[in-house]
Amino acid sequence: MDKKRTEVELVFRDVFGDDGIVLRDEMTADDVDGWDSLAHINLIIALEKRFGIKFATAEISRMKEPGQNVGTLVEMVSRKRQ
Amino acid sequence: MNVASLEWVACFLVVSGVFFQLPNVRSRQVLFAAGSLGFLAAQAPAWPAWLLLGAFLGIGYLVTNLFARQPNQLIVAGYILLLVAGFTYIKQYAFLTALLPASLFESKIALVGVSYMLFRQIHLVVDAYQGQIAQFTFWNYLNYQLNLFGLLAGPIQRYQEFCEDWERLEPILINREEILKSYLRLFLGVIKVLGLGSLCMTAYSSVLTRYMSEPAGWRTIAEFFGMLYLFTAYLYFNFSGYCDIVIAGSNLLGLRMPENFNYPFVSRNIGDLWTRWHRTLGAWIRDYVFTPMFKTSVERWPSYATSLSFVAYFVAFLLAGIWHGSTWNFVVFGLLHGAGVAAAKIWEMILIRRRGRPGLKLYLQNPPIKYVAIIGTFHYFSFSLIFWSNDMATSMSIVKKLGAALTR
Repeated sequence: MDKKRTEVELVFRDVFGDDGIVLRDEMTADDVDGWDSLAHINLIIALEKRFGIKFATAEISRMKEPGQNVGTLVEMVSRKRQ
Repeated sequence: MNVASLEWVACFLVVSGVFFQLPNVRSRQVLFAAGSLGFLAAQAPAWPAWLLLGAFLGIGYLVTNLFARQPNQLIVAGYILLLVAGFTYIKQYAFLTALLPASLFESKIALVGVSYMLFRQIHLVVDAYQGQIAQFTFWNYLNYQLNLFGLLAGPIQRYQEFCEDWERLEPILINREEILKSYLRLFLGVIKVLGLGSLCMTAYSSVLTRYMSEPAGWRTIAEFFGMLYLFTAYLYFNFSGYCDIVIAGSNLLGLRMPENFNYPFVSRNIGDLWTRWHRTLGAWIRDYVFTPMFKTSVERWPSYATSLSFVAYFVAFLLAGIWHGSTWNFVVFGLLHGAGVAAAKIWEMILIRRRGRPGLKLYLQNPPIKYVAIIGTFHYFSFSLIFWSNDMATSMSIVKKLGAALTR
C-alpha cells in the first residue's frame, strides 16, 4: 500500500503543481490546496491514465464525500488495479 | 392528494403506528408498496398515463438489467436520448411545439412524478452500465421508482442507498427521542407548507398585482424587493417543508432519504448554493451531466480545460433550468445560474492569479467579504426566481418596470 501511495503522490504533485505534497491516509480534499471540483476531475483523469484504470461516475463523486480520504482513494486505486 | 394535506397525515399516522407491528420484512414491503400505489392512484392519473407508466417501468427494468450484463456505450446513449426525447414530448416543450405540427400535441398525458422518474432511470442505467449496481430485482426497482416519499418532488435518491434500507426495512430511529423528533419534523413541515408558505404566497400575489398595475415610481423599487423576498420565502417554506414531511415520514418507516437543504441562504456563490438548495438535484446534475461532459472533453482536448469547464457549466445549468419546466423562461433561469457559477469561477481564478492560493484563503476568511458574497448570492438567486415563477412575458414586464423605475 505504501508503494501505491507513493505512486499516487507523484500524480497529486503533477496535477496540483506542488512538489511539496506528502500524502497521508487521513488527508481529505480540504488538506490539499486547490483540490476543488474541477481539480478533482483532472486528478481522476491523471490517475486513470497513470494506472490504466477507469472510475465510474458514482465513484468519482463518492471520493469527496465525508468519511472519504486519501487512504480510501489509494485503496480504491489498488483494488481496481488487481 | 398532497403530502401536506390532512388526509395524507392521517393516513400516515395510522400506517406508521402499525408498520413495525407487522411480523417480517416482506409484509412491511407489501404494505409500503400498497401505500405507494394508493398514493399514485390518489393523484388520479388517466388510463393512458397508467399505460405509459407501465411501459416506462417495464422497459426501464429490462434495459437496466441488460446494461448490467452486457454494457454497450452506444445503446446506453441511444436509450438515454430516447428517454429525454419522450420526456420533452410528454411535457410539450415550447421548442417542440414551435417546430412540430400542433396535431401531435392535441392529447396531453399528465404523468405524475415523471421528471423525477426520468432522473432516477438515467442514474440507474449509467450506474448499471458502469458496474455499480450489485443486485437488481424487479420488486426493488418498482418500489424505488414509485416510492411515495420521493414520487412527487424528490429528494432524488440513488438506487444503492434505497436498497440498503429497503431490504432490511427495520426501525432506524434508535430511541423514543429520535422518533418524537421525526414526528415533530413532519408536523413542522406541514406548518411550513400550509401556514408559512401559503402566507408568503398570498402576500407575494398581492404585491405582484400592485407592482404590475401601478405606474413606475419609487414604490416600484420597494415592491420589487418585497416580491423577491416573499417569493423566495414561499418557495423555501413550501419545498423544504415538503422535504421535512417526506424525509421524516420515510425515516419513521425505516427508509433514509437524502437531505435536500443545508442552510441555502448562507451560500457564498451560485455553485455553493446548489450544494445547499435542492442538493440532490445539484448532485445529480454534477454526477450525470457536468462530470461526464467535462471529463470526456478534457480527455480529448486537455489544453482547453478551463474554457471547456465554462461550456460544461452553462450546458449543465441550462439542462437543470429546462428540467424544471417546458417554457422559455426556464431557459433564462438555467442560463442565469450558469452565468452565476461561471462568474464565481472567473473571480476565483483572478484572485488566485493576483494573490496566489494563500491569498485566496485569506480573502475567503475575511468576514465583510463573506457577508457581501452571501447577500449578493441571495439576491441573485431571488432575482433568477422571477423567471422560475412567471412566464417569459410577465418576467420581462417585471424587469422592464424595475428598469423604468430606476431610470426615472
